[in-house]
Amino acid sequence: MEHPNGDASSSGAAQNGQREDAGEYKLKFCTVCASNQNRSMEGHLRLAEAKFPVISFGTGSLVRLPGPSISEPNVYKFNETSYDSIYRELEAKDPRLYRANGLLNMLDRNRVVKWGPERWQDWQIGRPRVEHKNDQGSDGMEGGIADIVVTCEERCWDAVIDDLLSRGSPLNRPVHVINIDIKDNHEEASVGGKAMVDLANSLNKVASEERAKIGASAFDSATGLGRSGFDERVPDVLAEWQERWPNLPSTWTLAWF
Amino acid sequence: MAAAAPVKTLSVSEQIQQLNGARNLALENAVYYDKIVKGILPIIGPSSPVELRRWGAEFLAESLSTPVLSTRDKENLTVAVLETLRSLVESPNEDPVVLRASVIAAASAYPVIMRWIIHNSYHVESWEHISAIKSSIMRIWDSAATPVRLCCIKFAQRVVLAQTASNGTEQKYNGLDVSLNMIPANHPLLDPRALEAEASGLLDRMLGILQDNSSDALFVDATLNTLSILIRSRPGTSSRITSVVLNFNPLKLANSPMTPKNKVLVRSMEKTTRMLLIHLLKRDQGNPLSGRIQQQIERLMRSRAEIFDDANRKRALAEQPAANYGDAKRQKLEVGVPQLQIPPLPPGPQSLATLFTLTNNVGLQGFDVTQVPAPFAARICVKTLASIDQRILDQAINGIRSRLGAFYVAAAAAAAAAPPPSEQQPAPINAETAPLGIDEDDDDYEPNFYAAEDTEQILNKLDTAPPEKPVGQNTEASATLAALGQFKLPPPPSLDAEAVAKVGQVTASRVFGPLSVLEEPPLRKPKAGINRLAASSYDREAWLTLITRLATRSTAGLEDVNGKVKGEETGDALDRPRMALSNMIREMLYNYVLEDWRRRIEVAVAWLCEEWYNDQLTKRSQIDAPLHYEKWALRLVDGIVSYLTAQDKVLTRFLAEIPELSRALLGRLKSLCSDPTTVQLALTTLLYQVMMRPPVREIALDTVADIWSEYEEARPLAAKYLVKWRPGFIESQTRAMEAGNGDTNMAVAA
Repeated sequence: MEHPNGDASSSGAAQNGQREDAGEYKLKFCTVCASNQNRSMEGHLRLAEAKFPVISFGTGSLVRLPGPSISEPNVYKFNETSYDSIYRELEAKDPRLYRANGLLNMLDRNRVVKWGPERWQDWQIGRPRVEHKNDQGSDGMEGGIADIVVTCEERCWDAVIDDLLSRGSPLNRPVHVINIDIKDNHEEASVGGKAMVDLANSLNKVASEERAKIGASAFDSATGLGRSGFDERVPDVLAEWQERWPNLPSTWTLAWF
Repeated sequence: MAAAAPVKTLSVSEQIQQLNGARNLALENAVYYDKIVKGILPIIGPSSPVELRRWGAEFLAESLSTPVLSTRDKENLTVAVLETLRSLVESPNEDPVVLRASVIAAASAYPVIMRWIIHNSYHVESWEHISAIKSSIMRIWDSAATPVRLCCIKFAQRVVLAQTASNGTEQKYNGLDVSLNMIPANHPLLDPRALEAEASGLLDRMLGILQDNSSDALFVDATLNTLSILIRSRPGTSSRITSVVLNFNPLKLANSPMTPKNKVLVRSMEKTTRMLLIHLLKRDQGNPLSGRIQQQIERLMRSRAEIFDDANRKRALAEQPAANYGDAKRQKLEVGVPQLQIPPLPPGPQSLATLFTLTNNVGLQGFDVTQVPAPFAARICVKTLASIDQRILDQAINGIRSRLGAFYVAAAAAAAAAPPPSEQQPAPINAETAPLGIDEDDDDYEPNFYAAEDTEQILNKLDTAPPEKPVGQNTEASATLAALGQFKLPPPPSLDAEAVAKVGQVTASRVFGPLSVLEEPPLRKPKAGINRLAASSYDREAWLTLITRLATRSTAGLEDVNGKVKGEETGDALDRPRMALSNMIREMLYNYVLEDWRRRIEVAVAWLCEEWYNDQLTKRSQIDAPLHYEKWALRLVDGIVSYLTAQDKVLTRFLAEIPELSRALLGRLKSLCSDPTTVQLALTTLLYQVMMRPPVREIALDTVADIWSEYEEARPLAAKYLVKWRPGFIESQTRAMEAGNGDTNMAVAA
């Protein structure tokens, strides 16, 4: 008895040191845009800074970034190219152009958030993400599952839903998929990032409240509100959020992983 | 069981930290799952603290569904946890979080256990456990907390999936491929027909929410999002589910008030339904219902557009303020009149500014218009008024009017402290903006009590409004409003004579403005007969009539009756700018005629007729006013004469039609005879007067005679007429001349 006891307390102390807000309940988020570069990464960073567990993806077939002309985009493969390598390539190609259009700035931000752009369709949902320890927002995402998916464009929402329908929901886990229409430029992405954090905070507040109704006692005394759960309150939160962000039209559904 | 041992001496949070460590181990290496899962089972049972049960149930749900373990690996694990899972599900009044995770775990366990039983029919115990779990879940499906009930739907889906025949198109992983096909017909425990019947019943229960056309978006979405794989890979369910989905109307809720939440719900259900249909159309092209699916998708998109169009449009404008400044690419081109939203005023005293504020933009509301320089503001106003759509202006005016009406009604109601009649209730209350709004809960709507409620609400509003004195006394608001009625324009600056003259000139020139716009009269117009009324046809001719009469009626008061007197007193040089308005108009009329005299000769005739008539009136009334006819007739002839050519028969007509001819007037024709080409014109014109106007025959003949004697070149023609109309004249003249000539001849000879 002695030995494992001491063992446990030491490991407990170590974990305490790692996570100061260990007691606080945090919803897990997943942000999605087309190329996992601008809008989803802005959201990823903002949510991570707000201490939410978060991962991010793109739904496009390839990572597309603006090139010297509209017909010559810079194209990269998902999952195989790091932000850092893209940064270095573009910097070598035409530093003036890519600094002026904000790409280098964006990639510079992205490369400190995580390694590289990931494709939604290639994501094996539920596969542990223990190898992503250095990603921002990885804390809490070890299980590889999110409670809330936030897409940044109707097209991406459609792609996510279609993909989830195709997968056949093997994990049996409900997930709220929320689209926020954000235009694909740096300014709008920044506004969208703020709106995402606002949404995350609002949802998390409700989720914590529901989670705090511990045990059968809460369930017993349940009349109306006591019985409601987090899921039920999501549309309310979203409606209130939409009033606050009328320029970011949203769509929501409850889907399954 | 190393993990279980220390538990008893640790606090719950310490235990959870320890458990998290164990979980991380499993996440890093799936090999540990088996050990860890089995190790934690003793500490997560129904008797453990709720935190541990939550952690445990969630860990079970995660473990049983993890993609890193194969179905075979999971069999072992799943069989091991069944008993614990059963105890959690069956435990009365279990915590919803525990229950939810347990149901998720059970959904993952079900196909795995079924597959296990198919191959290991001796293990009756497992089948008993999972059957008990199933019936517990069926029992709580309708009564548990919402998150649990949602997962019950998913559990039912997994049961249906496992207990119906597959077409083999599903992915072979995570138990999705477990189906009725795998059960041998003679299985000792599993009866395929009974299982299929059970699945059919469960499917009915799942689809019930759609068949009832529920508006509970959460359950509708959750159900719809489980159906895809059933339709695609379980042909036995396919057509049934598809037709239920096709008959489901996700837009039903749109008929109730569109609160922000209802918008979210309607949009969600519509989009989820449509996504499922689009998905089926794409992935399941063999579906015999494809045609209907396509139709339904289009119908949904149309209805959605109708319902949300208005909102989208508004958003589009708010989103793109740049659109107003020529961002043509993003501009929406619309033909319809945009509806102006004029929210009624909140109760309480209002400033004049709020009364007239129509914008919802907070930034604009705060803008102090008085900072704009007045001339600039005036220009903006004029330009805006010139370009604004009349219908929008009307909407705005009516909006303000109803606000004012509402204000007075509310004030009157407060004064009388009596319920106003319901139809007096002012501007409709906008549910989204009214602060003390109508109860938004649609269920409470009782039409019979509607009016009563309204009255009560108004009174409530008035009660809660800041104290207001009756209208008779000076409340802050009525004072500001009353100030409006008493406003007087400052007296205009006094005008001196020159300014009057200048302004008069501008006025006169404006009178001519419409002439260029008015259309030409048709070439042949029906004769209106003797009863026609002048200036009643509103064409160019009518306007000209108006102008000529404006110029020529001294009775209109435009005449400078005392002009002569003043002229004598102050001298011509000073008097000129004071030219009377009528003379200014005459001057312009003259210019107008001369600009294109060949075509405007009729105007000249009409004008001169009016002048002549006016002169007659002046003479008769013996006012000491100047006469104009002669003067202007002479000016007109003088103006025309120098431009006349041999072809200009209008001269003949002009002189024939003007009311009075004088010696001086006809004398002007003489000058034509100095040009051989116009001699004939002049003489024919005179001849016409001689023949057709007996009163002026004599003066016309005198003129001809003058021509005969003054212009050598005109003599033959003039002689011809004179011979006919004044016989003996030439002879007498010739004789007189010969006498005269004789003298001169003699002188020459001498």
